[in-house]
Amino acid sequence: MKDFNYSAPKTVKEAISLLGSLQGEVKVLCGGQSMLVLMKQGMLAPEHIVDIKGISELDYIRFSEEKGLTIGALATHGAVEKSPIVKEKYPVLAEMEDNLAVVQTRTWGTIGGNVCHGDPAADPPAVFIALSSKYKLMGKKERIVNAEDFYKDLLEVDLEHGELLVEVQVPPMPANSGVAQEKLMVQKGDMGIVGAAAFVTVNPSTGICEDARIVLTNVASIPFRAKGSEKVLIGKKIDEKLLEEAGQIASEEVDPPADTHGSEEYRRDMARVFLKRATAKALQRAQQKN
Amino acid sequence: MSNKLIDLKFKVNGKEVELKVNPKTLLLEVLREELKLTGTRQSCEVSACGACTVNIDGKAARACSILAVQLNGHEVVTIEGVADGKTLHPIQEKMVSHGAIECGWCTSGMVMSARALLLENLKPTRDDIKKALQGNLCADSGYVKYVEAIEMAAEVMQGNK
Amino acid sequence: MEEIKNKYSILGKRIPRVDAPLKVQGQAKYAADYEMAGMLWGKIKRAPYAHAIIKSIDTSKAEMLPGVKGIVTGKDFGGFKWGWQGYTRDETPLAVDRVKYMYEGVAAVAAIDKDIAEEACDLIDVEYEELPAVFDPFEAMKEGAPLLHPERKTNILVEYHWDFGNVDKAFDESYLVMEETFQTPKSAKGYLEPPSVLAWWEHDTLHYVGAKGSPYMIWRILGRAFDLPLSKVRVISPIIGCDFGGTKNDGHALDFSACLLAKKTGRPVKIVYSQWEELTTCLRRHSMAVRCKMGMTRDGYLTGLYTNCVADGGAYARMSVVSMYLANGFNTVPYKLENFRTDTWCVYTNNPIAAAMRGHGRYHTQYAMDGVMDMMAKKLGIDPLELRIKNSIPNPKPGETYYTVNQVRIGSCGVKECLEKSGELFGWDGYKKENKVDGPIARGAGVSASGFLSGARLTGHNSCSAVVRINEDGAVNVLTGATDVGMGSDTAMCMIAAEVLGLDMSDMEIKRVDTAYTYPDPGSYGSRVTIYAGEATMHAAEEAKQQILSAAAKEMDVAPDELDIKNRRIFMKSDETRFMPWLQAVRLACYQGNGNVIVGKGVSRRGVKPAVQAFEKGIGDTGTNYGFAAQINEVEVDLETGVARCTERSSMGDDCGFPLNPTIVETQGIGGSYHQGIACGLYEEFIMENGNTLNPNFVDYKRPRVYEAPFPKFHHAITQDPFGPYGVKECSEATTSTGAPAVISAIYDATGVMIKNMPATPEKIWRALKEKKAQENK
Repeated sequence: MKDFNYSAPKTVKEAISLLGSLQGEVKVLCGGQSMLVLMKQGMLAPEHIVDIKGISELDYIRFSEEKGLTIGALATHGAVEKSPIVKEKYPVLAEMEDNLAVVQTRTWGTIGGNVCHGDPAADPPAVFIALSSKYKLMGKKERIVNAEDFYKDLLEVDLEHGELLVEVQVPPMPANSGVAQEKLMVQKGDMGIVGAAAFVTVNPSTGICEDARIVLTNVASIPFRAKGSEKVLIGKKIDEKLLEEAGQIASEEVDPPADTHGSEEYRRDMARVFLKRATAKALQRAQQKN
Repeated sequence: MSNKLIDLKFKVNGKEVELKVNPKTLLLEVLREELKLTGTRQSCEVSACGACTVNIDGKAARACSILAVQLNGHEVVTIEGVADGKTLHPIQEKMVSHGAIECGWCTSGMVMSARALLLENLKPTRDDIKKALQGNLCADSGYVKYVEAIEMAAEVMQGNK
Repeated sequence: MEEIKNKYSILGKRIPRVDAPLKVQGQAKYAADYEMAGMLWGKIKRAPYAHAIIKSIDTSKAEMLPGVKGIVTGKDFGGFKWGWQGYTRDETPLAVDRVKYMYEGVAAVAAIDKDIAEEACDLIDVEYEELPAVFDPFEAMKEGAPLLHPERKTNILVEYHWDFGNVDKAFDESYLVMEETFQTPKSAKGYLEPPSVLAWWEHDTLHYVGAKGSPYMIWRILGRAFDLPLSKVRVISPIIGCDFGGTKNDGHALDFSACLLAKKTGRPVKIVYSQWEELTTCLRRHSMAVRCKMGMTRDGYLTGLYTNCVADGGAYARMSVVSMYLANGFNTVPYKLENFRTDTWCVYTNNPIAAAMRGHGRYHTQYAMDGVMDMMAKKLGIDPLELRIKNSIPNPKPGETYYTVNQVRIGSCGVKECLEKSGELFGWDGYKKENKVDGPIARGAGVSASGFLSGARLTGHNSCSAVVRINEDGAVNVLTGATDVGMGSDTAMCMIAAEVLGLDMSDMEIKRVDTAYTYPDPGSYGSRVTIYAGEATMHAAEEAKQQILSAAAKEMDVAPDELDIKNRRIFMKSDETRFMPWLQAVRLACYQGNGNVIVGKGVSRRGVKPAVQAFEKGIGDTGTNYGFAAQINEVEVDLETGVARCTERSSMGDDCGFPLNPTIVETQGIGGSYHQGIACGLYEEFIMENGNTLNPNFVDYKRPRVYEAPFPKFHHAITQDPFGPYGVKECSEATTSTGAPAVISAIYDATGVMIKNMPATPEKIWRALKEKKAQENK
C-alpha cells in the first residue's frame, strides 16, 4: 500500500473544514471494507485519507412516524441488521444486511461507506432508491439529494469537493406498500450477479398497483431504475403474465457487464427473473398489509 | 509524502498497548509484526477467507482489512487471548475433542468467529452458527465438525453439559 | 467393528489430535511465523508475458534503491534444472532466456523490508520479445504449433496407450454402448496458507524452513541446485497449512531465490508469496478432456471401457508423467471390468504448470465414467445405485486376492458395503418417491463410488523409516521423515507407538521433520504416510519395546518373551501381578544399554519395489493397497437461474481398511475431501484468457463455505486389509474423487441435464436447461 497523509477528525464540522482545505486526491474512509482492498491492490492510492470512523455523532439509527428512518453514515451494517426498529418497520433492510457479505464485513463496514462507494453491484443503494430515500450531504452548506440522483457512473457519485455524506433518510412506508429485495448469489453473501429491489403499492379495494419503483443491481454502471417495467405495472392488477412482460422489458433495457461470473446474455435473463421475483414478493407483502 | 507516525493506544487481550504506527499499517500487521501475536493469519488479502478474524469490542472483524489507527480506544481480542491461562475455552476444547481441526490454518479465525457469536447469543441455532462462520474459509477439515463443536460448546456454556 | 475396537487400547479410538491444542490457541508455528535477526524480505520479479524471449535484464536502478541488499536472476543459478525424474528436468528456478507462462519469475530481490523489495522489483528493467503462444492442448499437439521446449521437437509431454482384454469385441457384444466427452477445469490446490520460506546459511550449511509437505524432495533438489552434499542441506518443517500436492510438495521460485539471496547477502531471507502469486503462478490441477466409451449388457453389467484423455500440462513437466498414469491406472476399480483400453496424452502449453492434487489423476476419469454410467443407467431403466452395486468388485475372502485385468492386486474391497450403507443412510429407496419440485426449485440425488491407491510405489525409493526414542524419564519421542500437512499422521504415529509400548498418548511426543536428524522419507503424497510411516513406527516401537523387555526380564529373572507392557507396567503374561513399573524398566534399559537412551528403529520396505511396467503398459500394482468410498448427496437446482447447491442431506461410506482413529477418518471424509469434491462439481475453476488467470483471488474464485456444506451421515466399512499395518488403507483420496461426480449426478437427477464441463456454474446449468427446452420443443 502506498503512503498517505492521514487525519481523523472527531466532529462533522472538523471533517468538513478539513475536507474543504485539502488539495490533491482525498478519500474519506469509514469502515474501509471496500476501499482497503482496492488500496492494498494498488488500484487506489489517495494522497490524503480523512478517517471519519471516529465521528461518533454520525453513528445512529433513528425512527419517527413522520420522518421515517434516519441512518447516520457511520452506522455499521451489523447495527442496521440487528436494529429492532429496522426489523419492525423496514424488514427489507435487515434481510438485505443478512445477505450483505459476511459477519466480519458487517461489523466494521458502514452504510455511509457503502452508499458512497458507488458500486452498481451493491445492495444498499438499490434498496434505498426503491424506498425513495434521500442522502444528506454536508459541505459548505447542507444538501439533500435523492438517492437515485446520487449515482453518476461506475464508482462515481455526486459528492463535491469538501462534501461528506452524513445521513441516509428513508421515508415512512406508505400504507398498502410492500418492498422486497432478491439477488442472484452462487453462495450466500455474494455480491449479486444480478439483483433487484422492488417497492409497490396496491389499492386495497381494487387490487391495482398504484406505484412501483424497481431497481436492479449489477446490470449497468449505476443502480438501474427499471422504469419501463414499472410503467407496465402501474395502473394494472399484477399477475404472472404482466410480471413476465415487465421482466422482459427489463432484460431488454439493461446494459449489463460480462465477467467471470456471468455473460451479458445470462445477466439479461437474470434481470428478468429477479425483477419478477422481487416484485412478486413486494406485491405479496403489500397485499398482506391490506 | 509525509508518512508521519500516528499514536495508537488500544487494548489487546486485556492489556493496554501504546505504539506509533504508519497510518497505512493494517491491524494484522501490528498484531503479527509489532506485537508478535502470530496466531492471527495472513492469507487471502481480499477479505475473503477470515483467517485473520479477531474480536473488536466483542465482534468478529478482519484484521487484514482495518487500518490499525482506527483501533484507537477499542479493545481487541486475538486467538492468544481466548484461553484462560492453560484452560481452554469451551469452544477450543470442543474443537479439539470433536476433531474439527486438521491443518489448523483457519482455526484461529474459526475460534474468533465462534467466540463473537457466543458472546452475543448463547443459544445459537445451527443457522446462527453457519451465519457466524460464513466468512471463514477452510480448505481441509471442512465445516461440519466446526459447526458441531460450536453447538457442543454452547451447551457447555449454558451449563447443560 | 466392536471386536476390532476392543483388540487395541489406543488404536481405533477417538483420540484427540496431538497438534490440535497448539493449533486451537494460535501457538502452532507456520513458515510465515518464523523470523530471525538481520532477516531480509525477498520478492520475485515476474514476467507479464505467457511466452517471450528475455532479451536483457537491467538491475542497476533497483540496486541503487536504498535498502536493497541483493538481486539474483535466472542466470545466477548456473544452468541448474530440476524435474520429477532425470528425463523430466526441464525447469529452472527463475526463467533464464525464455518465459513460458504468465508471471513466471525472472529475478528476485532481497531488501530490508517488504515495501522496498516490491519497489525494487518494479525498478528492474526487463526487455522481452513476445513469442507466439499456445494455450489449448489440442492446438498444441498439432504440427506447427509453437514449441514450449524446442529441444523436444513436440509439445507432447507424455503419452500412454494401454490395452487389456478385447475392448472392440466387448463393445460389439454389448447391448448398449455410449460415448461422451467430459472436461475438467484447471483448479487451485486451495490451501489458504500461501507458500513461505525462510532460508539462511550457517556453518557452511543451507538452512531452509518452508511449507513443504514433502521436505525431502526439496532437500534433494536444493542439494543439487547449490552443489552441496545432502549432509549440508538442512530442511526444517514448520506446521503446514495444507498441501494437497503441488507447490508445497515440490520447489518454486521462492524456494531457490530465498536460498541464493541468503547466500549472496549473508543474511537470512524470507519470502512469503501473496495469494495472488499463488493463484497465478503456482501449481494447479490439470484440466483434462476425457472421451469415455462404455459398454453394458441389458442388465447393466459393464462389458468394456475406452478412455481417450488429453490433459493440459502447462509450461513444465512436473509430475504429469505420474498424473497421466493415475488418470487411468485403476479405471479397473471399483467395478469388475475385463476389457479396458486407453489413449492418453499430456501436452505442454503456455499455461501455468499443472501438477498432482488429492484424488490425483483419478478424479478426471472418475467424473467421465460416472457421467456415462448415469446416462446409460437411465437408458437401461436401472437405478444408478443398484447398477453400481451390481458391478462392484466383491470383497476378497481372507487369504484371497482379486486381480484386475491390469494386475492391480486387491486384498480387500468394501465398495459394495460403502454403496449399500450410503444408500441406507441417505434413505435412497424412499427418496425416489418424494416430490422433488417446489416452485423453481428441483431436488435430486446422485451417487458415486471410487477406489484409490494407498502407499504409492511409482519409483524405487518409497521406503520409510522411523525412530522411537525413549528418554530416561520414560517420555517417548517419535521421529519420522513423514510429514503431517494436516491429515493427522503425527497423531497416528503417536497412537501406534503408544499402542505398541503400552503407554498413554501423554507419554508421546512427535517433532517436525528436520532433515539433519530424521530419516529420509519421500513425502506426503500418494496416500503413503500412514501405510509406510505407520509400519515403520510400529517396527521402531517394537524394537524399543524389546530393549525394555530385555532389561526388565534380566532384573525379573524371566525370559523377555514372557513379558508384555500395558498401562505403564511391564508384567508377566502368565501372572499379571508380577510386574515392574515402566519408569524402573526404562531406567534399567537406559543406563545399562546404549548410553542413556533407548532407540528403536523401524523400516517399511513395502514401497521399495516399483511396478516397472506401470507407466508404459498400465500393468501392475502401483499401490500397496486400495481404499474405497461411496457417497450420495442431494442438490437443489433453481431451474430459472441455474444455481445448484448441496443440501445438508448426504451420506458417505468409506473403506480405509481399519480406521486407526475414526474421528480423524471422518473429518478427512466429510470435511475437506467432501468439500473439495463438491467444490470441483459446483464452484472451482480458473477462468483463463491467453494464459492469464482472470480470477486469481478467493472472491472471484469460488470455494464452498459453511452454507454450502453437506452434513453427511458416515459409515465405516472395516475390511482389515492384509497389506497395511493394522489393516489400514488410504482415506480421503477416494472420497475426493467421488464428490464431484455425485453432485453432477444429482443435478442430472434433478434436471435431466448432464453437465459435461464442470464446475456446474449457474450459467452452465442455465444454458443446458435452455438447450434441453429447445430440443424438447423441436
